[in-house]
Amino acid sequence: MHMPILELHNITKRFGALTALRDLSFHVNEGEVIGLLGDNGAGKSTAVNLISGIHKPSGGHLFVDGKQTLFSCRTDSAEAGIETIYQNTALVDSLSITRNIFMGRELCTHAGMLKLAEMREIAMQVLKSAVHISGIDSPDMLVGELSGGQKQAVAIARAVFFKRRILMLDEPTSALSVRETEALLNQVLKLKAENVSSVLVTHNLYHAYQVCDRFVIMSHGTKVFDVAKADTSISQLTEYVVLT
Amino acid sequence: MTAAPMLVQATAPHGRLRRQSPLMRLIGAPAGAILVAFILIQVLCIAYALIAPDEFRYLSSQNLTILMKAVPVLGCMALGVGVLMIAGEFDLSVGSVYALTAIVMAVQVGSGMSPFLAAPLAVLIGVAIGLLHGFITLRAALPSFIVTLGGLLFWRGAVLLYNGAVQVRFDPGPAFQGLFGGTFLGINAAFWWFLALSLAFYLLLHRHRFGNHVFATGGNRAAATAIGIDVNRVKMTAFAIAGGMAAFAGILATVRVGSVQPGQGTGLELQAIAACVIGGLSLTGGRGSVLGIFLGGMLIHTITNVLLLMRAPGFYLDMFIAVLIVGAAAFNSMIERKGRG
Ligand SMILES: Nc1ncnc2c1ncn2[C@@H]1O[C@H](COP(=O)(O)OP(=O)(O)O)[C@@H](O)[C@H]1O
Ligand SMILES: [Mg+2]
Repeated sequence: MHMPILELHNITKRFGALTALRDLSFHVNEGEVIGLLGDNGAGKSTAVNLISGIHKPSGGHLFVDGKQTLFSCRTDSAEAGIETIYQNTALVDSLSITRNIFMGRELCTHAGMLKLAEMREIAMQVLKSAVHISGIDSPDMLVGELSGGQKQAVAIARAVFFKRRILMLDEPTSALSVRETEALLNQVLKLKAENVSSVLVTHNLYHAYQVCDRFVIMSHGTKVFDVAKADTSISQLTEYVVLT
Repeated sequence: MTAAPMLVQATAPHGRLRRQSPLMRLIGAPAGAILVAFILIQVLCIAYALIAPDEFRYLSSQNLTILMKAVPVLGCMALGVGVLMIAGEFDLSVGSVYALTAIVMAVQVGSGMSPFLAAPLAVLIGVAIGLLHGFITLRAALPSFIVTLGGLLFWRGAVLLYNGAVQVRFDPGPAFQGLFGGTFLGINAAFWWFLALSLAFYLLLHRHRFGNHVFATGGNRAAATAIGIDVNRVKMTAFAIAGGMAAFAGILATVRVGSVQPGQGTGLELQAIAACVIGGLSLTGGRGSVLGIFLGGMLIHTITNVLLLMRAPGFYLDMFIAVLIVGAAAFNSMIERKGRG
């Protein structure tokens, strides 16, 4: 692990009088899974949104591959290889899995007509190989027919297909069943094996401990601990989060 | 990497996935229910017309001609309104826009302009009005319902301002008359236009990138934005389409009747929305199909036609359509709640 692929340096974010992030610095290495932890209101979602290009920082710098970057919208961060998986996944219920995977990046003829057969073929492969999602037997299924976990799996499949390098997951498991949660955490590990990094925001320290390599613990908009998994234990993590 | 604790090989539960009978699946599909209803009504009408051709003249060529002339005006308007509804917005002004653009066209032709110039001009005005509604709606972040309700009143007033409360004759000459009011292969030209436009809208909505973005914009605006779709541009385009199609419907109607009344098209906007709702379009956007809109328009006219043939008083018609709309909306929302999008 050499240069971090993503680095926040003294990032500040103010919403009017409220300072949601104060001099926040942390980095993400290639293939690393970061657990972003902290109490409600600590600023975790704000940090995720900032990295996703939804918020602009009020101060500080963001580096991608060592180069200073400014994301002014969601598409900028996507182009830098960052995909955000939301609790309510960014999918359209009334459209098929295929159309969702290719949403906004459709394969088209010059006239803009969709190459549906081609997209369907690829979607089928993505569903079969990149991420195994049980219960989905056809890319023609409407996303509205899927369970919460399956929807997230489709969103992740989309990220994988478009060769994202960092997944931002903001409380992805809060609406999932136990088995779906396990499947999701498994996917994070599978992606790690392919050198895809993840930033996992969660309230569940057990989930974080299962999959993360390093923990960034936030309190009141700033980082209070940054500790590798090898140097901590789950009881110590609990203390960090509860006591700060 | 440190060895992660072994995870259970997880299988996601099947959730809402149930095996359904083909009929239930069809009814749950975007235009499935209306397709079933439409076929059922046609079978009943045709059977009755065959059994009692003198009492129920449904299949008489006279009646079929009336039907073919009546459907396209509402149908074309509904196509435009429908695209906008799927994008998540309403247009209540199309009835007034239809009257205004038709009057402008008729007056211009009356004072010597070629109808082949006046008709595109009418469509252009419709598009411009649609864009204006879209601009106000999006800029001021107002519900399109309110903005276009304003449009409904404003453009109806503009009709009177432009030409007073008088009827305008429309005599475009044989070429134009033939193109929009003639007969081709036994079928009325207006109906051909409606068929062609339905096909074009099908390609646009279900086979083109733009359509994908329309569904995304209406179905999950946040998702569409997150993925980089310019939702405001999609909505502006949809507003423009609704305005342009209202004007086009006005051309068809004016050619058919040979004149324009200043009060023409009052209430047509509600019928167009009704056709869409009956056709399975969601009131909150993101769900619907061109086949549904097409059949919704056809169904309204079929029912109108049947009630007329049975000599039912006019108020039955309104009451029947009212029941149909509310029933269809309830059915749609039930389907949506079941999670089929
Ligand atoms: N868009 C916003 N406008 C104003 N305040 C916000 C906004 N987003 C977050 N905040 C505030 O910033 C603080 C951090 O919130 P958030 O990042 O959501 O915390 P977390 O995800 O860690 O629970 C909270 O006090 C919250 O109220
Ligand atoms: Mg949060």
